Order: sequence, then structure tokens, then C-alpha cells
Amino acid sequence: MFDALEKTMMPLAEKLGKNKVLVAIRDGFLITTPLIIVGSLFLLFSNFPIPGWENFWTGILGNQWSSWFSNVSGAVFDVVGFLSCLGTAYAYGRELEVDPIQSAAVAVVGFLILTPMRMNVAGVADPLGAIDLQYLGTNGIFLALVVAIVSVLIYAFVSKRGWTIKMPDGVPPAVSKSFEALIPSGVVMLLFFFIRIGFEFTSYETVHNFIFEILQTPLKGAGNTLFAQIIYSLACTVFWFFGINGPAVANSVFAPISKVLTMENLNAFQAGKELPNIFTDPFSNFFTNYGGGGSTLSLVIVMVIFCKSERIKKLGKLSLVPGIFGINEPIIFGLPIVLNPIIIIPFILTPTINLLLSTAVTKLGIIPYTNGVALPWTTPIGFSGYLSTGSFLAVIWQFLLLGLGCFIYYPFIKTLDKQYLKEEAEASIRKDEEEDLSFDDLNFDDL
Amino acid sequence: MKILMIFDQIQAGFGGKENGDLELGGKMMPIGSANMFDKYLADVNGQIIGTLYCGDDFYLNNKDMVTKKLVAMTKKLSPDVVICGPAFNYEKYGLLCSEVGQAIERKIQIPVVAAMSVECTEGIAANKNNLTIVKMPKKGGIGLTDSLKKILELASLKVSDQPIGQFVKANCY
Repeated sequence: MFDALEKTMMPLAEKLGKNKVLVAIRDGFLITTPLIIVGSLFLLFSNFPIPGWENFWTGILGNQWSSWFSNVSGAVFDVVGFLSCLGTAYAYGRELEVDPIQSAAVAVVGFLILTPMRMNVAGVADPLGAIDLQYLGTNGIFLALVVAIVSVLIYAFVSKRGWTIKMPDGVPPAVSKSFEALIPSGVVMLLFFFIRIGFEFTSYETVHNFIFEILQTPLKGAGNTLFAQIIYSLACTVFWFFGINGPAVANSVFAPISKVLTMENLNAFQAGKELPNIFTDPFSNFFTNYGGGGSTLSLVIVMVIFCKSERIKKLGKLSLVPGIFGINEPIIFGLPIVLNPIIIIPFILTPTINLLLSTAVTKLGIIPYTNGVALPWTTPIGFSGYLSTGSFLAVIWQFLLLGLGCFIYYPFIKTLDKQYLKEEAEASIRKDEEEDLSFDDLNFDDL
Repeated sequence: MKILMIFDQIQAGFGGKENGDLELGGKMMPIGSANMFDKYLADVNGQIIGTLYCGDDFYLNNKDMVTKKLVAMTKKLSPDVVICGPAFNYEKYGLLCSEVGQAIERKIQIPVVAAMSVECTEGIAANKNNLTIVKMPKKGGIGLTDSLKKILELASLKVSDQPIGQFVKANCY
């Protein structure tokens, strides 16, 4: 069965992993991630889920205090589309081996060419020179990606054809580089110039409206279903069996969608509105997996408490603290999980069951929707549940799932435990006394 | 074919990067990630007779002593072949594989197959001309199962004294 799986999964992983567009989108989001996390912390501070928090700080800092904080979070969230354009174009430029920062700059300009820059304001006769932030924020993410890819593709095409202005030797490299970028940038800007004009004659009026309606909304809808989330969850774990980092493969497809879903919740949370989506990044990070992919914190707990093999017990103890912070590398390679046909079963099952159950209790209203606040994925269980929902019930729920995971892992790790015990016993018989080799009485002659 | 594995703390199943000061040790059985080879051993009639391990930081701080002891222990256990790896992109472990592997081949003439990803620049640069280092992906990368098979294939070629030139050209650094 695993051979058949390998034959279908491997080419898929290879295709996704080598597709430069998908790699650029995935890596581009990584550029915005730290900014979103810091922005989230500011937002979290101004909306901390403790009754009386706001009044307490108003008493000390005055009425305006929360707007100081939302200025910072808004500086990231309100332009997250714009930042995605910059990050993706940078990463794609790097993939296509053209100047990455020049790629990022020209893509950002292309994005702005497509963006309405005049705004009619009631009571003011002439339109103001202004950009409505809705174009640069969450609603603009997919357009930003499209613009980044198209503009860098053209930029690279023109550059590589050698359609550039070449400076004589002796001109400083920075200057000659700048001239080299001139014609490729011009072609990109000219293209977006025509695209913008073209769309003014359609019923969409702007490319923003067009992409939002025909691309972002349907893809978001498709990703915002339990079915899609199960596929995502399976991809994240099944690939690990073959030693492939599953989330890295899955995110190359899912990242734009989960980004939009998460940012929509974050925007709603910031505005104090009802949270629209279940399947956000925090939901997937903190309500389906504990201790890293495969929800291995449950496994580690069973290893420490119930296993008898010396190796498994020791590895369990060593993996407990990293596991609490979501790191399971010692388990993945040390147990191992890679190519281990026994442990891979609960490794796949546990997160999927967690996903189904967490979706159910969220839909039933027992735990709240996640607020979208981007906590680092290393945030320990308990803290993560509380900070991403503001609910103690959610914390209890996390620990219930952790316990359930222990039950799922138990029979499988015990099977492995027995096998390891047997091996350890056999090895100690072979060596007469114990299986540990001693390096103390070695013969170093003729070495 | 009797195979001896040489691992760092992560592959041996003794913790993560933070546990690099793990002292030299060994067991007369496959441990840790040696089990990844399980499925493929039968194809080359291979049997893992033991695993030696050493924390990567411990190795860097005690290179001479560790190398000498690993060579001596290998001699004592006298396997047909030693596998140093898979080191993925763990650079310190990659260096261990390269230097210890080379020492084993040079001093006691037991064939060695090392394996690491391109990120292990120091380990590759040190011995790419006098040790067979199989190319493999970094951790989480694509193609691990393939390189595990290649490691065993090369081990088998070396043990049975068959020509390895073509294989090395295609699969090694």
C-alpha cells in the first residue's frame, strides 16, 4: 500500500515543491508573517480577553489608548495585500534569478497602477487623492499575488532577452543596474497601464473587483470547507511518512486561502465585528495539532508514562519540553516516524480526528471562533487556546483533545514498545550482560 | 552484508539539537532512524548489526578522541560496511560523517558510505574526493526514500568489490 502511495504522492510533492510560482507565494507570505505576529500582539494587548481590561487602562492612559495600539496593528493588517505583493514579487524574482528588490518594487508599482487613487468624499467638491485601504488589505491579497507573479514574469522575460540599456565599463554597478531595470520596468508598467484602462470599460470597473469576485471569493469558499481542511490535514501528515515536510507542500497550495480566512477574522476582531470563518491558521495550529505535526505531544506523553523500552522512554523524556513548544524533530527522525508503518497510522488519524471534533464543537458554539490573532506556532497548549479565542472552555477543549490523542496513540506505540523491548533483550543476550557497548577497553594498536 | 550505523544524537533518538553534548555510545542493534532502512534491507541482503552514536557538539569538541574510538570500535565489531548518515542538512553531523568515515576507510580498510545534503558544505568539501558521499535531500525535502535505497545499493557494491565509478558519478558529490 505504501508503495502505491509513494508512486502517487512523490511526483505530486516534487511538482508542488519545484513550482516556482507556488514557492514564491509560500515564501512571500513568510516575509509578512513576523509583521503580522507583532501587529497581532499589539491588537491582543488592546483587546485582551479579561473583563475590565479596557477600563483599567483607560483609567491610566486616557480614552485614546486603544487607538495607539490599533495604529500599529492596522499598519500591518490594512496593507497586508500590499505587503504580500512585495514579498511574493521579491521571492519570485529570486526564483527567476533577476534582481529581487527591483522585482518587488516594480510589482508594487504595478499593483498601485491598478488601484483607485482618487476618492469621493461627501461634502468635498473635488475627489481627494487617497487610497481606500480596503484595496490594500485582505481583499487585495489575491490580486497582489497575481500582479506580483505577472509583473516579475514579464520583468524577467524582458531582462533575460537582453532588452536592457547597457552602460560602459567603469560606470558604478549600482548605476548600471538601475539603467538595466529601466526597459523591463517600463514594459511592466505599460502593461498595467493598459489593463487598468481596459477594465474601466467593463462592468467590474477595476481589476480589484474582478479578481476579488472571480478568484478570491470562490477559492476562499472552496478552502473554507471541512472537506478541504481534511485534505490539508492529510497532506500535512502523509507526506511525513516519506520524510517530506508535509505542511511545506500543503501550504504551497493552501497558504493564500488560509491567509485570507485568517485575516478576515483578524479584521473583524479589530473592528469588534462578528468573526466570519472557522478555518483560520490559529484554528489549524491550535485546535488540530499539539506538539507539532501529527499532534505528537500526545504520543510523547504516552511514551513517557506507559512505555517500558529504554530507548522509547528516554526519547520521550527528551522530547517533552520541545514538544510543549511544538517542536517534534527528535521524534520524527529519532523514533522514527519517517517510514514507520505502525506509528504513521495514529500520526495521520489524530490530527484528522481533532479537526473533525474541533469543527463540530465550534459549529455547535461550545468554543468560540478563533480571532485570527497570529500567535507564533510555538505558543504552548493552553495559552494558545485562550489567546486565540478568549475562552477558558477552549483551553479545556485543547486538553481533552490532548488526552484523546493519548488514547489513539497508545495501542500503536505499545506495539512498537514491545518490539523494541524484544530487540533490546536480544541485544543484551548477544553481548552477555548488556547491550550498551563500552568504549573504555578498546585496542588502539596499529591505528 | 553486516552493516554498522554511525549516528548523531538526533538520528539515534536521543533528543534534538539542544542535546549535542551526548557522549559517545553504541548499541548492538539498529536504533533510532536506522529503522528507516528496514524495508530496503532485504533487497541487498543487509543486516544492521549495531549503531554507534555521538552528539554533534561532543564530536566537534573532542574530534581526535572520538574519531580514534569510533575507528577502534568499528575494527572490533568488524562489519562489512559502515553507513555514516543520513546526515540530511545537519552540518555538524555531516562533518562527523565525512571525517570519521574517511578515517575508517583509510585506517582499517572497511568500506564506508556517507550521505548528506548539499547544505553540509564543510563535510562535503573535506572529503568529496576520497570518500563516497551519497547526495540526499535536506530534512523534509523530497527524495529521502530514493537516497536510502542508493545508500544501500552503494554499500552492497562496495562490499562485493564491484566497480562503483558510474554509480558514484551519478549519485555522489
